[in-house]
Amino acid sequence: MNEAKNPNPLFMPITYLTTESNKTGSWRFLHPQYDEKTSPCSVACPAGEDIARIEMLASQGLFKEAWETILRENPFPSVCGRVCFHPCEGQCNRRELDMAVAIHSLERFLADTAIRYGIKPVLEKRPSQKQRIAVIGAGPAGLSAAWFLSMLGYACHVFEASAEAGGVLRWGIPLYRLPLNALLHDIQQVEAQGVTIYTGKPVSPDVLEIMKKDYDAVFIGCGHGRGMSMNVPGEDLKEVSEGLDFLRKLREGETPPCQGVSAIIGGGNTAIDVARSVVRLGGKALLLYRRRRQDMPALELEVEMALEEGVKLQELVAPAAVARDEDQVVLTLQEMKIAGDEGGRARVAPDEGKTRKVRIDRIFKAIGAQADEPRHQPPAGDEGLLSLSHTVLVRGNQGPVMVFGGDLTNETKSVVHAVASGKEAAMALDTLFREGFEAIVPKLEACRVGEGPSLSMEIYMGGQRRLRNPHVVRYEEINTDYFGFIPRVIQPRLLKEERVQSFEEIDLKISANLAMKESERCFNCGLCNQCDNCFIYCPDTSVMRDKDHQGRHINYDYCKGCGLCVVECPRNAMSLREEES
Amino acid sequence: MLTEIMDREFVYSGHVGCPGCGATIAMRFVLKALGEKTIMVLPACCWSVITGPYPLSALKIPVIHAAFETGGATASGVRAALDMMGDTETTVLTWAGDGGTFDIGFQALSGAVERNENFLYVCYDNEAYMNTGIQRSSSTPYGAWTTTTTGQDWKRLRKKNIVEVLVAHRIPYVATASIAFPDDLLRKTQKARETKGSKFIHIYASCPTGWRIPSEMSVKIARMAVQTNIFPLYEVEDGRKYTINYKPKEYLVREYFKLQGRFKHLTDQDLDQIQQMVNEDWELLLHKAGDRS
Repeated sequence: MNEAKNPNPLFMPITYLTTESNKTGSWRFLHPQYDEKTSPCSVACPAGEDIARIEMLASQGLFKEAWETILRENPFPSVCGRVCFHPCEGQCNRRELDMAVAIHSLERFLADTAIRYGIKPVLEKRPSQKQRIAVIGAGPAGLSAAWFLSMLGYACHVFEASAEAGGVLRWGIPLYRLPLNALLHDIQQVEAQGVTIYTGKPVSPDVLEIMKKDYDAVFIGCGHGRGMSMNVPGEDLKEVSEGLDFLRKLREGETPPCQGVSAIIGGGNTAIDVARSVVRLGGKALLLYRRRRQDMPALELEVEMALEEGVKLQELVAPAAVARDEDQVVLTLQEMKIAGDEGGRARVAPDEGKTRKVRIDRIFKAIGAQADEPRHQPPAGDEGLLSLSHTVLVRGNQGPVMVFGGDLTNETKSVVHAVASGKEAAMALDTLFREGFEAIVPKLEACRVGEGPSLSMEIYMGGQRRLRNPHVVRYEEINTDYFGFIPRVIQPRLLKEERVQSFEEIDLKISANLAMKESERCFNCGLCNQCDNCFIYCPDTSVMRDKDHQGRHINYDYCKGCGLCVVECPRNAMSLREEES
Repeated sequence: MLTEIMDREFVYSGHVGCPGCGATIAMRFVLKALGEKTIMVLPACCWSVITGPYPLSALKIPVIHAAFETGGATASGVRAALDMMGDTETTVLTWAGDGGTFDIGFQALSGAVERNENFLYVCYDNEAYMNTGIQRSSSTPYGAWTTTTTGQDWKRLRKKNIVEVLVAHRIPYVATASIAFPDDLLRKTQKARETKGSKFIHIYASCPTGWRIPSEMSVKIARMAVQTNIFPLYEVEDGRKYTINYKPKEYLVREYFKLQGRFKHLTDQDLDQIQQMVNEDWELLLHKAGDRS
């Protein structure tokens, strides 16, 4: 039929408007929103490293950016990737699925990569401030304080008594755990930031007085370098010496005599370091500990490797007396018994009447250390004192403010705690100079990672991280449908036969390929990695792309509040709230 | 997944789908894969309502609203008209619910694919007549409550295996897909577009309203249907070549059932029986795919 001639054309209703006039947002009673949260690893890290973000960047191949993200919170990635006790991994949510992410291996990989390619970090730095700050001691605490203070714009001079910087890292940790170039790189990094380090400059009380006139603040981080006494007869025999002194001689390039059997008293990392060094020098090492192996403060892996390498361990024995017998020494041991529990470790008491003797060639003490001189300790009393979590601030009537940090004030004596203390000191001093004494505590409170004790310099300096919700993501909040079982990277190591031959570093490098695979295992708890699930699954076409840092936003004109985006977010980077009426 | 495909959009906001609607997610995915050169035939189904009242439309492509039983026939006519105009490029898509596919539109579908008409028929399956008030269909699974299978009279008949019915027609391409597996869904839709002749895709599209589940769980539930083998992802070429696209771990069907209000009356014995039925179906599929001899 010819349409033109048809007097009754076919009526066909045709739509000509879109549904966009229908604002379905009015249906909504739940309100989804982007809400980045806090990862448990970053809370567990005493330096508050933004681990979830570091791994996210690493998984995208952005190694430089990942490394810079470490440097914002910790100037020692090369060191900490090797010797830190990585409490982060103990809190990793991934443990509940398969195994924790190998965070320390990745930290070391990023640092190694930066060294290998000679990458220079680009970090935010505040404009120069007028105050000058002296730092006494170029150990991890002092160098961290200087690093963060110089980030905040202060001129920092570091005074070190020894011939080289590094403190316990330079003189107290054997090369097989921390090679020299790894340490030197991190120290050079601090210097490149604008910190001046004067070595061979011990600060006597007189020099300190002069310093007080020249500087607005003095940070004291001299560390614990002097051994403790065993309080047993015969302790002053020349065959009895300090484990730390032994390690220092080694790092100075000497080869102290180690023939025969060396007894090492203690159960910390220093004891293990001494024992393993003795083995490497061809001696026999007998480790004597008053509690049991599982109670040792030393890293479990270190103990395990030490035993593999031939170190002998006797548990539940304490030294009672030392006597010389011809050219050897006889050590009398008091046997100990378990007398209860002490925060998860055995409390021990002498098993009366049970003693035995061992014949050995020398004894190394590694039962803890203290400050070299009492004046390194913060003064007693409360007058003008502000005790923070990792530092003590002392404000005299006249002269500059003094800050004590590192081992001097830390309950846990570790490298990363020293970093934490340097960071806290920097934040406290900056707040003091800018806003006054009273502002320090509230300001520091506002820079906590989650609700934990760690502080974030990025938050302090007003970076994006401050916008994160302090809520710490739990395993149940991760959508594990998006994460399959992937085994943790196996850290390649020297064989034990190779290990005992030399002081070569034991842990070998991992490839970039392995590192990226490992970083992909990270849930990135609480962070958006632009996976786009919210956009993909929105039934209402209400997730819109844009160019801000989030990359997208929710169009509340149409969002019906179904909550799919929040549930399908693999990483809990979104939240659903009740709509405010 | 190609970003430019995921980035294009053919569904407007402001449609009246329920919050968390799986059918709308399915529509977004399929149109992204097909692109703008698509004409849709829409027999009566949820989407007849979702797309909005006259004169509004939630879709950026031409749509012909058709009678309930005519999905296959109308598409055949549209295809013929396009071919006469020399347009072989445009995809003709019939978008029907389970009622319009399994029951009411069944003969038109069977007729069209028997003639091997060159079109794509997508059934988005929400396992009942949802927009008219949750009446059971032949797609409603064993064990489900609907408003016509209430109380102790829950459905005690098995779900019709529509994929096998289509396979029996020996058409070039039949596939199952799920809103919880977008990559797989987009790939299958693109493959269907590039295949000549009749194509059928059966998309599992959860319905928070009818299944008595929270709206935010609709993708999770759809994913679990695949993970538990209740709705396996597979494709069949030329009625003979079976490919299973996803081999799940041994998840238990009860995990899927206990999250949904429509199954809350089922006892442990019922669930054990359903598990057996699912295992049996899965074994059968493995045989067909040549994974079991």
